[in-house]
Parts: sequence; structure tokens; C-alpha cells
Amino acid sequence: MKTNIRHLRNIGISAHIDSGKTTLTERVLFYTQRIHAIHDVKGKDGVGATMDSMELERERGITIASAATYCQWKGHDINIIDTPGHVDFTIEVERSLRVLDGAILVLCSVGGVQSQSITVDHQMKRYNVPCIAFVNKCDRSGASPFRVIEQLKNKLAHNAVAMQIPIGLEADHQGVVDLVRMKALYFRGDNGETIEELEIPAELREMADEYREQLIDAATMFSDELTEAVLEEAPVTTEMLLGAIRAGVLQRQLTPVFMGSAYKNKGVQPLLDAVIDLLPSPKDVINQALDLNAEEAPVNLQPDNALPTVSLAFKLEDGQYGQLTYIRVYQGKLEKGDTVINVRTGKKLKIGRLVRMHADQMEDIPALGSGAIGAMFGVDCASGDTFVTPGVTLTMTSMYVPEPVISLAIAPKDHKSEINMSKALNRFSKEDPTFKTHVNDETGETIISGMGELHLDVYIERMRREYSAIVTTGAPQVAYRETITQRAEFDYIHKKQTGGSGQYGRVAGYIEPCSEADFIFDNQVTGGSVPTQYIPACEKGFRNCMAKGPKLEFPVTGIRVVLNDGASHSVDSSDMAFQAAARGAFIEVYPKAKPIVQEPIMKVVVETPAEYQGAVMGSLNQRRGMILGAQDEGVMCIIESQVPLAEMFGYATILRSLTQGKAQFTMEFAAYKQVPQSIAEEIAKKVAEKKQKVA
Amino acid sequence: MLKLDSEALPADRLARRRSRPDRPAPGTSTGRVIRLKERNLIMLTKDLILRNPLRLLGQENEDIVGPGRFGAVLARAGVGKTALIVQIALNTMLRGRKVLHISLNEPVGKVDIWYREVVHRLAQHYQVNDMQQLWDTMLPHRLIMTFQVEGFSLPKLQERLTDLTAQNIFQPDMIIIDGYPFDPEAHPLLEALKDLAGQLAVPVWFTVTTHRHEAPAEDGLPVQLSPVQDLFDVAIALQPKGETVFIEALKGCTLPEAQPPLVLDPATMLIRTQVEGGVA
Repeated sequence: MKTNIRHLRNIGISAHIDSGKTTLTERVLFYTQRIHAIHDVKGKDGVGATMDSMELERERGITIASAATYCQWKGHDINIIDTPGHVDFTIEVERSLRVLDGAILVLCSVGGVQSQSITVDHQMKRYNVPCIAFVNKCDRSGASPFRVIEQLKNKLAHNAVAMQIPIGLEADHQGVVDLVRMKALYFRGDNGETIEELEIPAELREMADEYREQLIDAATMFSDELTEAVLEEAPVTTEMLLGAIRAGVLQRQLTPVFMGSAYKNKGVQPLLDAVIDLLPSPKDVINQALDLNAEEAPVNLQPDNALPTVSLAFKLEDGQYGQLTYIRVYQGKLEKGDTVINVRTGKKLKIGRLVRMHADQMEDIPALGSGAIGAMFGVDCASGDTFVTPGVTLTMTSMYVPEPVISLAIAPKDHKSEINMSKALNRFSKEDPTFKTHVNDETGETIISGMGELHLDVYIERMRREYSAIVTTGAPQVAYRETITQRAEFDYIHKKQTGGSGQYGRVAGYIEPCSEADFIFDNQVTGGSVPTQYIPACEKGFRNCMAKGPKLEFPVTGIRVVLNDGASHSVDSSDMAFQAAARGAFIEVYPKAKPIVQEPIMKVVVETPAEYQGAVMGSLNQRRGMILGAQDEGVMCIIESQVPLAEMFGYATILRSLTQGKAQFTMEFAAYKQVPQSIAEEIAKKVAEKKQKVA
Repeated sequence: MLKLDSEALPADRLARRRSRPDRPAPGTSTGRVIRLKERNLIMLTKDLILRNPLRLLGQENEDIVGPGRFGAVLARAGVGKTALIVQIALNTMLRGRKVLHISLNEPVGKVDIWYREVVHRLAQHYQVNDMQQLWDTMLPHRLIMTFQVEGFSLPKLQERLTDLTAQNIFQPDMIIIDGYPFDPEAHPLLEALKDLAGQLAVPVWFTVTTHRHEAPAEDGLPVQLSPVQDLFDVAIALQPKGETVFIEALKGCTLPEAQPPLVLDPATMLIRTQVEGGVA
């Protein structure tokens, strides 16, 4: 266990899909000598990149689970979390960012700042993660790193400044000019492992001077020493300049931009130097926990091994040796044999085996110090749990978890698959909080819910591969819901007084739409017309009706129930009677309140070459989409629209064929909106059919 | 003293409104069934149109600028051109007509924020509770399109418009072009744009940025507008005087003499009529 926390970096590599972050990670691992051969993401050797350890990841060329890995560079320990780029896996990105101290934002020098980069940038802002940028793929035709820098400024409002300029672009890309040391760097050898430091080529001298000037100018904002040196025209030293840039990065006020081509092995080592020189150590970052004893007041954590332990489980994986829990220690240390408490459950547990992860391989370690990231074995917990030394009542802030928007009914093919499927579902829902599963009471079907088609697709595929559970899937279901549009009054008597013990309860009041909450119960009964002890029963009666609306049996939301009158019977009234009265009242009043069905509307952003703009707009329009705007970005064009989720199934395939695979889209939940009459009728028909089937 | 906007209406216009030809005589029915829920929305929309001080600039229930014609909003940077033009757009959208907002310097998101902000302030000012519902019905009537200034050309615009109209995605009833550089070479493109506006039979509004240090041209118009003024039917200027921004008609439309002047409320950026002691 290293004691010098200043020599530790926890970094993430975040970016738009296909900007090459897994390739970059692969190169980092090679140069830090964690691996001894480079395998490409979709390489011909069939090995696949080291970080893409899942078979499925290698096949599709995308990174699904964020694999943590550890490496060393120039006496510093670096933990890298490789994060997925696809929007359906956003929860993975969010979870990684939560535990990181800094990040490398990878951008494609051709594609520039793309829609997913904007989402990732928002997430970085939310967790206040300082970052440096790496403009990758400078060897591609159409590469323009300076355009990307402009986009960083305009689209993401970063104070982006070039740290390097490229020596040649596209096929002619040879290396970079380091603007801090004013040297030209060439990457020689089969894998670019030898760096040749030469004088700046004469034709680039002027440009380099100009960009260095800009760099110094931007950095002076963060260092008085540097400002003085510039004003006095004294020489600006490397340390002085790097110190100022680092200060800017830590405040998230400056984004230094590096460039190169990971695939062509150019510019990766200087980026690693920058990770050490510019990104924060755990000591430079303030992390807060909530004190459960003081009404969740925030408490600053100190990365000091001597203090009581506070650590966060940020990711779970079920491997062949049992559950593997990725953990970050924020304060104190975790040692083999230590006893810690899971704050959520209050359960004590003993740390058995601690490991350091390297994609799918691991090495045993005796302890994890403050700020470190590692994994432990044999601990039963959920993702997001906090582990502390007994006696400490701190919990890490909860992570933002979006609600799932799409469901799918799945059925196992045979008995063996059924057993394996339940094992798989159990594991997946524990690992991924955006993946949920339940059994429909009426149909007996197993329903899985998630953040998008691909999200569910990947889990079904994983079930088949990892658990040999073969399942058939139904059509994807959209999470519709019902609400009312106007106020309606109710006055209902529930009476059963014929033989045996009677039941009597009368409730009166009104229901009305409300936007503040899904359900509000307002008791305005005066004079005891409904005795106080029966009020909770009334509330329960109404609340129970919310799960399934009388119209089409979708959940009911946005209702305020006001109870202002009623009556009771000294003998025959009971909790049960008032619950029944509330239920009866609701069923009676609901149609009067003009109920409507609402559907999730997604914000769909399509990025397409300008020549396909018309076709893409047409495709969105056909899907009941409302085009909000079209933004011209030179060769590319960004179309913003709102489209009902129900119409988005299979859109990825359609978009690919419309645009020869050149367009991509992101989709996120925007709002619930009323379903048009014709569609509502169709839904009603389907619901009726389904009911008949069940009967 | 505060005055209601409707009180500030000239007498003849009130009379005209009462005797509008399209209004059915009492006791007759147009045959259209208005649902109870819709009624509130329709009343609210009408109310907002009636209360809008912009109507003082144009004809009742008609656009200030006619089909195929050009209008301009002129002001120095930061005075409120976009705020005013957005209100002109909203007024059109309220009447169920479609507005294509072309911005040459702002991204889609930023233009959208302008609209939301103005709608939010309108809702606050007129104490409308259910603005979200109204906004949901208005939103399909607007499409924002942005171009990079250097990339903006007539063929490109025509291509985009064809994309929209041929597939029946969006058929604009008004076009707004915000941020067009009115430099000395602007005349040919503006002329071509005017032809296009004529073909589409839509009014086109422009924003024109003027500069404090520039003296007006010989005809009294700002130097940006003067060389192309023959193409414009209406020009409205925003003139900050002290803490008030006055809306002045430079060309094409006149404010009735008896009317209190129109101003942009500096606090809300909404158009108001100025009355003694404040804005109404």
C-alpha cells in the first residue's frame, strides 16, 4: 500500500461512442507495461481490447461494463475506469464519475463535440470532476483538432486551450509540438514506445509561438507568479506554467487540450504525463458524506489513513468466485480482516479478500488506503452502499438513478433456462440500478425494465451467453400512465347491513389534477363527520387505487384527493368499510374527472451529415415526432426533436439504413404527455385483448 | 395610475371588434363543438391575443407585416431585439400559425430558452396558471433552425425549406431571421429572399443590429437599413431613453396619436403601453 496519497490518481476516460477511448486505454496499459501486446477493439487477431473483457463487448466493439484497472506511470499509481459510451449505459458513466477525481474527455478530431459528449460533460459538471481533453484520431481524414477546441468553447462552455499542436494531420500525422516545453515529439518504434524529442520544425515555429502565447495568457488567470513573470518579461518556466494550468484544471476553470492518435500510437505518453501533472490526487478533491445523526448534514471527508473508514461500493460484478464489489475508500483504510458496517442495512461484515483489478484479471492486496479504488470478495451488498468503521454514522450521498422507461416481457424456453434466468436477473438487477425486474401478477410474465432497447438487448444476450438461459421476448412495452384533467366531486356511501356484522362508511369531497406530486391526500374534514381514526383508512383506500387506473389499468398519477365530509356508524364503521368507501368513491368519480392516458416522450437528438437532414426529419415526423430545431454545424447537422417512446423501437436500424450508418442519435426521457385520441383507442383495444387472453 | 390595456384601445377599433364579420350573430351556431377542457384554453388564447399590446402596431388579428413582405426590428446590441421578435412570434403562434425561427448566431437551445422565458414572464404577468398546457399546444407551431453566419445562403435555406414543406413536416406562416449581418453587400441576397418570401406568401422579420457611434443615413434611417430600405415595409426601432426602452415605428406602421407609447418593460422585457407613472 503506497502511503503517499499525492502520488495517486483516480481517473476516468469518458467520451462519445466510437471516439476511441477503449483503444486509448489499451495504449495506456501497454505503455505502463500492464500488458505486453496491443490488441485492437475490433482487431483481426480476434483477441479484442484488454478492457473489453466480456465476450459480447469484444464482438460488438463497445464497452458495456466499466472495467477498473490499475497501472503505474513515473512513480504514480493510476486507477483507470473505462466507461461505456452508449447512452443506454449512462448509469455506468454516472457511477464511475462519482468515484473519480479527474477525467480525460476523449473527443474525435473529425466528429468533434457530439451529443454524447454533451451528456458526459453534464455528468462531469454534476459531480464536479476536473478534466483534461484528448482530441483523438488526428490521423483520420477530415481531422481538425482546432475546430474541436472551438466546439469545446462554444458548445460545452469550456475554457479550452491547446497544450499541443499537431505535426501534420490526417495521413501525414507524425507527432505533436509540446507548447509547455516547446519541443517537437515524435513517436518511433513499432508501437510508438520511443519518444524522440526534437526541435520544432521551422514551418511550425510561428504557429507554436502563437499558441503558446494563448496558453500562457489563459494560465495567468490562475497564478500571480506567472502573471508577474509575464509582465516583467521574465522567462516562464515549465513548472510555473504547469502549476498555473493545474490550478485552473482543479477549479474546473480551464480545460487543457492534448491531441494525437491512440490507434497510431501517437500522443499517449504526454497525455499520461498530463494525468500526473494536471489532474488532482484524492487530497486535492473535497468529498462529502452525510451525517445521519445530524439530519444528513454534509461532512467533509479527509483522505487520511488514520481516521475512521468511509468507503463506497460503486459497482458489483458476479464472477466465478462470488460477488465482486468495486469499492472506493474516501477516508481511513480498508484492511483484510477489518470489520465494517454497511450503513444501509446496519449489518456488520468482515473484509475477506481485497484485490486490485486489471480488467478481468486481479491481484491480491493486503489493504486499500485512503483515496484508493479496489474490489473486495464475498460481501453481500447493493451498488451504492456505504461501508464504515463501527460507530461512524456517515453515508455517501446517494447517486442519481433515472427511472426505467421501457419494459419487455421475457419467457424462458425450458426449465433449465428458467432457473438460470432467475439467477441472471437477480445478479443484473443488483449490479445495475436502472435495470429492474418483476413478475406481472395477472399474466404471470416476467417483465424486465431498463433505459432503452440496447440496454435490455445486452442483458438478454448476456443471459444467453453467461447463464445459457434462452429466453423469448415479447414486444417492448412503454410505461403509459393515467391522469385526470379536471376537478370532480364525489359523495359515496359504502353500506352492507344485511345480516352479519355490517359495514358502513360515507366519504365526500373532490379529486383534482395536481402537478406537484403523484398523489396528495388532503384531509379537510371538520366536525368529526369522518372520525379521525378512519382518515388513514380513507387515504389507504384512495392510494391503493393509484396502482391501476380504472380507465386502462395504467398507474394513475398527478391526483389530489380532498376529503371534506362523510359519515360513520357507531357499530358498523371500520377501517375496512372506509377503505372500501374510498375505493368505491374513486371508481365512481374517476370518469367524471376526464381521465386521459399519458405516454413518455423522449428528447431525441440526431446528429447527421447535412445531406440526410431531410430524410432524418421525415423519419422523426413519421414517428409522431415534433421537430424542435435543426442546428447547422458545417458538414454535420443536429436535429432536436420530441418523439413518443412507443414510436422509437427499432429506430437505430432505420436511422442507419437512412443515412448509410453515418448518423447517430441519443435519447433521453423528457416528459409525460397526453396520448392522441386515435392512439389511445388503439391502446384501449390492446388492453382489452390482453385482458381477454388472461381471462 | 395604472390602466388596463383594453382600456387603452382606440374607440373605433373597439367598435370594429364588436362588429367583426366573422363573428356569428347571437343565437346562431358555427356548428363546432368545443369541449369543456378546450374552452378554457381557447378563452385563454383569445384573452392573451386581445391583451397583447402588439396589436396596436398592426391591424386587428392580422400580422403587422403582410405576406411576402419584410419587417425589421432595429436596436443596438443587448437592448432587446430578440425579446421583441420572440413576442411577435408568440403572438403569431397564439393564433395557431406556424413560425420558422432562423437564428444565425445562437444555438437551438438558447433560442428555445428565449421563448420559454418570455412565455414564463407572460404567464406571471397575466397570472395564467396553466401556461404549460398552453405552451404544449403552441410548441408544434414553432421550429427553430440555426445556421452558421458564413454558411447561410439562399440555396441552403431553400433546400431546408423544401425538406420541411415537401414532407409536410412544417409549413411556415411566418419566418424570422435573427442575426443576419446587414453589411453593404446584403442587398442581392435580401432581394432573393424577398422573392422566396413572395413565393411562399409569408412575412419575414429580421433583426438589425445598429451601433451607437454611427450617425443615421441621409434619409434618417440607420445606416444598416438605409441601403436596403426599399425592400422593407415595416421597421420598428428600440430606443433606450433613460431607463425605458421605447418601441418606435420607423417605417410602415404608425402608432395612433392618442395612444400611450409602447415600451419594452426593462424588468421583464415584455411589451407594454406606457402610462403615467409606469407601464401597464
